[in-house]
Formats: sequence, structure tokens, C-alpha cells
Amino acid sequence: MTDITNTPSSGLSAPDAQDQGRHVSRRRLRREKTFYRLLTLPALTIVGLVAIVPLLLLFVGSLRDQRSGLFTLDNYVNTLGNGFFMRTLATTIAMAGGVTAISILMALPLAYLLARRTLLRNIVMPIITVPRMLPFVVIGYAMILLLAPMTGVANKVLMGLGILQQPAFILFDWPGQAIAFAYNGIVVATAVLTGVLMSVDTQLEDAAVSMGASKPRAFFAVTVPLATPGIIAASALIFTSVVTAYAIPVMLNGRVPYMVSLLISANLLTLQQQNLAYAQAIIVSVLALGVTTIGQVVLSRYGQRGGDK
Amino acid sequence: MSAARLRLTPAIFFGRAALAVYLLIMLLWLTFPVVLVLLASFQGTLEVSFPAPVSFDAYKTIPPSYWEAFWFTIRAALLATGIALLVAIPAAWAMVRGKLAGRRIMSNLVLIPDVVPQLILGIALLTVFIPLRLSNSFAGVMLALVALSLSTGLRFTEALLEGLPDEYEQAAQSLGANKFTTFRLVVLPLIAPGVAIAALFIFMQNLITFELLFFISGPSATPIAIRLFSDIIDRGIVPYAVAMAGILVYVAIAFYTLVAVSLGPKYMAGSVMSRKG
Repeated sequence: MTDITNTPSSGLSAPDAQDQGRHVSRRRLRREKTFYRLLTLPALTIVGLVAIVPLLLLFVGSLRDQRSGLFTLDNYVNTLGNGFFMRTLATTIAMAGGVTAISILMALPLAYLLARRTLLRNIVMPIITVPRMLPFVVIGYAMILLLAPMTGVANKVLMGLGILQQPAFILFDWPGQAIAFAYNGIVVATAVLTGVLMSVDTQLEDAAVSMGASKPRAFFAVTVPLATPGIIAASALIFTSVVTAYAIPVMLNGRVPYMVSLLISANLLTLQQQNLAYAQAIIVSVLALGVTTIGQVVLSRYGQRGGDK
Repeated sequence: MSAARLRLTPAIFFGRAALAVYLLIMLLWLTFPVVLVLLASFQGTLEVSFPAPVSFDAYKTIPPSYWEAFWFTIRAALLATGIALLVAIPAAWAMVRGKLAGRRIMSNLVLIPDVVPQLILGIALLTVFIPLRLSNSFAGVMLALVALSLSTGLRFTEALLEGLPDEYEQAAQSLGANKFTTFRLVVLPLIAPGVAIAALFIFMQNLITFELLFFISGPSATPIAIRLFSDIIDRGIVPYAVAMAGILVYVAIAFYTLVAVSLGPKYMAGSVMSRKG
């Protein structure tokens, strides 16, 4: 495009008409570009005002001392030097990592079946889609209905069968949170991996089987490697959603906070240490974005996108 | 060889049985929240027992504040979806057809609200909204949802337009239509079905957003998810809250039915469109 308009005029012999024509087309092109630029302007303005500026201010705020307003790294130093925060961050990462691994492992065989069996897929798809379209709070309600110490269905059934002598108090502690997160993780992983596995050519697997590999061997040696980009994408999605979850950690909270989001909101809302909370929020988003970016890099390197939207 | 493979050896039998058990457990696990919430919502008590008499008491006792929160969320989600698409479609068209310099950067900028964790964006918005008096207001909640919807909307419409060959537009322009007429008479009708589906997805996403809105909402601007959340913190689980959760389940089922009827169930596989956190 630009090479038409920007070529230096070829010399003295060029007639005026051609020169004029070039001017007109250049002007039209510029007008067109301006027109297109104007069309993108509202979107960029909204995102700028409602996302980019607030995030920049958050970052600037994290660098300031709350009382004096001077620029300092104290908020970061204090956060990273705080044993309690770092322990909670470690349990958060451990929780997110564990939930991610369990979700992928549990969902992979189901996703494989769904990708290969159309009838089963048509039956199961609503089952995985409906929970994803519910607020996580509703899943939390279901967890309480299932696992609550006295009234929960699981405890009542297990005690009725004589398996448990007294109700199990696992809900308002880390196992309850882990179960709720794993529920969500399995749902997301199943949906994403089904799409990924559907895009893996079945003939490759058939080829492996025809050359003597057993079906499980073909699955692990051919299909799983081909689905790796999707597995990574799903893992990054689950990991970040656990790290930054807020509703479930509060609803199913025990005496000790396991999740870092609780500390941030406590600093922000009850302890009135906003600038410290900003620094902690930045640390958590760097963690979350780092994991997402690694996932993206791996994805682009494999050159295959893990299923469309 | 094939005969040998078809014979039901013990190994294959146990393999099949294990697979069936696994499938059964997974299906039970995946369905239990929806089933439990619906069962409990029809019992009017907090203990789910089976069989139990069906009662609509829980639904009848849903307080007005819940309905307010519900309609508040619907209004904000609808408006945000509309505004976001109005802005996102021209922007996507300009980005795909305009061959603008820095297109990648622009499109990545617009995706920021979707990429940054919602909890963090919510905190960032709180810091800006308090001095502007936008926190605890309909406008604030809606603005936050617009930013989020814009990311999703742009991603959807960019993909739609990239799949659309530009010969139609060239034909219209060679017949004398200007850019605006081309867009209105050619592009818009061609992408309309896809945009409708996108709108449905974005609306649903707005309806269930929690982390983004938690910090900027307040007593006079409460989305339904946050109302359910704060009630369980304040007074524990109550029957009418379970009934409201049941209503949200019906909304989700209606959404799935709409999408499945118009696109087929296959479309939902691989969708990364999901609640964050």
C-alpha cells in the first residue's frame, strides 16, 4: 500500500496529471486510514479509561507510602518479607497446582471419550456447560448442601450406611475449598480438552494401533502429545482462576486463610492498608499473568490453538 | 487376530468395567451441584432428603431485595452487552479491514480486561471509582462490565470478520457504495447471526461475573451473585437463597438450550468461555 504512494516521483519527465492522480489517491488513502482509526477510537477509549488507567494507578499506588505519599518499594519489601503472606502465597500456589493437576488427570479420559463418541458428547455437553454458566457462589451453595457437617447429604448418607460414626468436618477447611475448586477445574478442563481432542486426527491413532500399539499406548504416545497445547492452555486457565478466586475461599473459609486473595481484601477493606494491598495485588497478578504468558508462549511455539472459543 | 481381540478376556472386561465406573462417578460428580440445588429449592428446607414432598415455599419467600438484585444484574448485563457490541463491531471491522499499523497492539490492549485477573481489575477500579463516586452505583457496575464485554466482543467479532471474505465488500464498493453503506448493507447482515450468539455469551458472562464486581458493588448496587454471597456470609444458607440459586440454574439451562438449538451441542466443546475464579 505504502509503496504506491510513497515512491519518489520517477523524474522530470513525469506528466503533471500523473502527479496529481497520485496526490488524490494518497489523500483518499489517508482519509480511509483516518476513518478506520476513528472507528477503533471508542473501544480504545473505554478500555483506556476503565482498565488501563486504573491498572496503572494501582501500580503507582503500590509504589507509594500510604502516609507520606512518597515513592518507595516498602510495600513490596514488607510483603515479600512477611512470613505470613509468603506462607499463604505458598499454600495458594500449592492449592492451585494440586487442583490443576487433579482436574486435568480426572478430565482427560472423559474428554477423550466425549471427543470420540458423539452420542455421549451430546448427552454430557449440557452437564458441563450449565455449571460453567452459574456464578461460582451457586457451586458453593451446592458444596454446603453436600458436605455440611450436620445437614449435608454426603455426611447423612455415609452415617446412615454406618461408614462414618460422626460427621466429617471437611467443608470449612482446605479440603472443602479444594473440592469446590476441583469441581470447577474438572468442568473447565473437560470442556476445553474435549475441543482439543476433537481436533486431533483419529487416523493418527488408528495408524499407531495398526502398527501394533495397544489402544492405551496409542492414546498416551500419540493423542496426548498432540493435545499438549490444549492441556497447557486449560492448566493455565484453571491455575489462574484458583489463585485469584475470592468467593469460595471466603464462603468455605476456616480459621486460617489458605488463599492469598483473602489477605488482599482484608488489607484493602478492613485493615485500611490500601497501598500494601495494591502491592500484593500486583504480586498476584504478576504470578497469574506469568503462568498465562508461559502457556501462550508454549501454545504459539506448538503453533496450534487449543480449540476455538 | 481380530477375533482374538473381540473375545472378552478378563483384562478387557475389567478395563470396560473400570471405564464404566469412572464414567458413572464423573457424571454424578458433574451433575451433583445442579441436582442438589434444584432438589433443595423444591423442599423449602435446608436438609435435602429424598423422597420429600414438593413445595414452592422457598420460591414464594424470595425477598424483594433478591428480585431487585436479579433485575439489576439483568439490566446491567444487557446494557453492557449492547454498548460493548456497538463499540466492538466497528472497531473489529476497522482492525481487520483497515490494515492499520499497530493492529496487534490495539487488539491486545482491548483484551486487557479479559486477561488481567478480575479480582485485580476490580481493586484497580475501586481506587478510581471512589473519588469519581462511581463505586456502589449502577453506572460503575455497568462500566466494569462494558470493559469486560468489550474484550470478549472484540475477540468474537474479529474472528467473525476474519472468516468473512472481503470480495462482497469490494463488490459493493465497486458499485458505488461508500464505506458506511457497505458496512450497513453487506457486512452487518453477514455477521449478524454470529453477533447474536456472541451477544448471548457476553450477556451470560456478565450475569455471572463476581470477582470484578465484588469490590465496586455496594448496598445500592448489588449484582445477584454478590447478594447470594454476602447473605451466606451474614446468615448462612437460607431456603430462599437456594431458590434464587435455582432460578440462576434455570437461566443457565435456558442459555444452553438456546445455544444448542441454534448451533448444535458440538459448539460448546472446547469453549474457553467460562467464569473466571
